[in-house]
Amino acid sequence: MRGRVVGQHWYTPYVFMLPGLLFYAAMFAWPAVIAIQLAFSDYDIVHPVRFSGLDNFIRLGQDPRVWIALRNSLLFLLMFLPLTVIAPLFLAMLVNLKLRAIQAFRMLYYLPVITSMVAVAVAWRYVFNREGVVNWLLGLFGAGPIDFLLDRHWALPTVVLLEAWKNAGLFMMIYLAGLQAVPSDQVEAATIDGANAWQRLLHVVVPSLRPTFAVTLVLSMLEAMRAFESVYVLTRGGPLDSTLTLGYYIWSKAFQDYDMGYASAVGLLLWAIMIVLAGFNLLVTRRRDG
Amino acid sequence: MARRLYRTRPRINLRRVGLYVLLIAVAALFIGPFLILLSSATKPASQDVFGFPPDLIPRPPVFDWFREAWTTIPYARFLVNSVIYVGITVPVYLVISALTAYPLARIAFRGRGLFFMLFLSIMFLPGELMLIPRFLVMSQLGLTDTFAAVILPAVLSSLGIFLLRQAFSQIPDEIVEAARMDGANEFAIFWRICVPIVAPTLAVLAILGFVSVWNSFIWPLVVLTSQSKYPIALGIAYLSGVAGTDVRGLAAGTVISLVPVIFVFLLLQKRILNSMGGAVKG
Repeated sequence: MRGRVVGQHWYTPYVFMLPGLLFYAAMFAWPAVIAIQLAFSDYDIVHPVRFSGLDNFIRLGQDPRVWIALRNSLLFLLMFLPLTVIAPLFLAMLVNLKLRAIQAFRMLYYLPVITSMVAVAVAWRYVFNREGVVNWLLGLFGAGPIDFLLDRHWALPTVVLLEAWKNAGLFMMIYLAGLQAVPSDQVEAATIDGANAWQRLLHVVVPSLRPTFAVTLVLSMLEAMRAFESVYVLTRGGPLDSTLTLGYYIWSKAFQDYDMGYASAVGLLLWAIMIVLAGFNLLVTRRRDG
Repeated sequence: MARRLYRTRPRINLRRVGLYVLLIAVAALFIGPFLILLSSATKPASQDVFGFPPDLIPRPPVFDWFREAWTTIPYARFLVNSVIYVGITVPVYLVISALTAYPLARIAFRGRGLFFMLFLSIMFLPGELMLIPRFLVMSQLGLTDTFAAVILPAVLSSLGIFLLRQAFSQIPDEIVEAARMDGANEFAIFWRICVPIVAPTLAVLAILGFVSVWNSFIWPLVVLTSQSKYPIALGIAYLSGVAGTDVRGLAAGTVISLVPVIFVFLLLQKRILNSMGGAVKG
């Protein structure tokens, strides 16, 4: 860099970044290296780390529970995507109306985002109890009662619904920011041309929200793939592995069975999936832009 | 302005009423579970928590369950722990994020973009995937089951560096140049001029940091073995596992844990809500 500014030396930026770089190295870079090393090793906390080549990955290919976890994670993603990428857009349109006290409604919809997963999971256990409000409502329509968290067909959808409900406010605010950037003259022009609300949404609003969709899509995918806390506090992977996600499987292999090497190999698989999903997303949204 | 002319005479607007009904119905969906939690926490032992039709109004409301939760587990200890975790993590997080973001925004040096990408890469190293290797690093450092182990991984985030870099780069050059002419060194410019200007961004990050530390669960679960160091979220999980905890007592304990976060949120909601959109729009 030519023409250095008065009072700045070559080392000035590094002095500023030193604490950040140290933490990056100690808490992100170094653990990432260890994670890769462990994936090719045996480690049970008691005995020293022993290199085991590709054993973990061979085991991974033959482990039926990995496939169950992978299937559950993908099912999770499939249910979670519309609930977080589409539904919150309607929420955002609702709270984008120029109405009195609209800010209060935004706030109420956002509340689950800032509360802890443990706390909302407790609340959900009351709501989805066999004798809880949801089953009462189902009863009014002659359905149920359902043991949502104990039934292996219902447990995973219930966990997904909790995650979607908890995150809806965040996605709503992202869309709201996007909506407020939609040029209002285009919307008005479409109205004058006789477009109804649905046509305006599809042909004016959605196309101009493309950059926002890129954000919510990748956020939703990553969120779905790393889901762990909700599973831990609601179902612990059960019943009968029906909510066993990759994240939960990694945790249980590592910290219940102390099979750290194998757990790291599964972790690497999850990591690879997340990067592929993010890359895929980037590719799709880029191409649409062009 | 032109549209106003058509709306000069306000009349009862059915559409508007309908929208409010919809808004309130959706609100019930989002805060209903919290209200049911509160209702369960204040019901007397003689009133059923569950049953058809739902009987949600406590008759009469009692507050014994809060005391019950408070004494069943070392509740005060957990609260104090969480306050300590927040009190140390958030200031350190702000200082480190500001120091790191400043040169990325305001000093021209080779590889600046690369360093920025490096810090943004944190996004692709989510905590859930770092549990095992970080646990090992903590063992190597002899820090497992310490307060430090809970705090250290939480003091760096890509969002903090991203938002602060953005805020620093929007400061007009003239302000900084004037100080430089007066002989201020780079650190003085950073600390006395730039940091006060980005205070609103720091406030937003402080709130987000508070919320995320207060709610943190998995990592403390992995790295802590002594119950005496548990943060409040772990305390609630512990309470729900204690045999014989009444469902009303668990609800009461959960309600207490929610109070600080909801209080801060109500106080600063405008700032929090506005920040979310801004953060993503970049």
